[in-house]
Amino acid sequence: MRDVAPMIRVKVLFFGRLRELLGKSEDYAELAGGESLASLFESYTRRYPQLAGFRSSLVASRNQEFAAWDTQLDAGDEIAFLPPVSGG
Amino acid sequence: MTNTTAQDRVGLQLEPIDAAALAAHVRGPEDGAIVTFDGFVRNHSHGRATKFLEYEAYEGMAVAKMNEIIEHLHEKYAIHRVAMIHRLGHLEVGETSIFIAVSAAHRGEAFDACRYAIDTLKKTVPIWKKEFFEDGAVWADGELPPAPPGAKSAS
Repeated sequence: MRDVAPMIRVKVLFFGRLRELLGKSEDYAELAGGESLASLFESYTRRYPQLAGFRSSLVASRNQEFAAWDTQLDAGDEIAFLPPVSGG
Repeated sequence: MTNTTAQDRVGLQLEPIDAAALAAHVRGPEDGAIVTFDGFVRNHSHGRATKFLEYEAYEGMAVAKMNEIIEHLHEKYAIHRVAMIHRLGHLEVGETSIFIAVSAAHRGEAFDACRYAIDTLKKTVPIWKKEFFEDGAVWADGELPPAPPGAKSAS
C-alpha cells in the first residue's frame, strides 16, 4: 500500500428512483485512494440530504459487479448505487 | 446492446421483441422441446389501472448478468440454446417486456432452466420498471440483489 493515498477519480452512475432523486444519471467523484464504497455514498448523502436513509435499500456495484460496502476504490472505477431491481 | 454467441442470443432493445424469431433461433434438430417465457405488461398493478411502463437498465452490467445466467444454465441443465431479450423504454399494456426461450432434448430440463432464468433475472439483473397510472407514476417494488460478503477487496 502507498504511504499517502493520492486523490483518485471515479465515475458514479445513478438509476431509477435514485437518478430522479439526484436529477442526474452520472457524476465524477474525487476521493482519497483506498476509500470505500460506503464512504463514497456518505459523501453523496452529505451533498444530497434526500439520500439519507437510502443505503439499506441499495446495493453497490464496482466495475459492473455487485460489491460489498467496504470495497476499496481505485482510480477509474465505475461505481453505481442500485435500487432494488424490477426487470422481467 | 446485444451480445450474440454462436448459439445463444442475449440483449436489450428498444424495439418490440420478435418472440417467434427467438423461438426459431433456439430450435435445432437435436432438440425435442423448447420452453419459452413471455413476460408482458399487465393492465393493472396493486389495484390501479396501468397506462404504460418505462424500463431502464444499467446496460453493460445487465447484459453481463444475463450472460452469467445463461452460462449457469449451460452448466446446470442439459439444454442446447438460450435466447433472452429484455425490452427497454416505453411499453404499452400487452407488449412483451422479457422473452426467454430454451431448447433441450427433453422438456424437463428446458422447463427447469427457463424457470431458473426468469427467477434469477428478476433478482439480479439491473433493470428498473416505472409504472404509469392515470394519477401518477411509481418505481415498481423490486428485489435487492444480494451483495457479496464484506471482505476487504482492495486491489
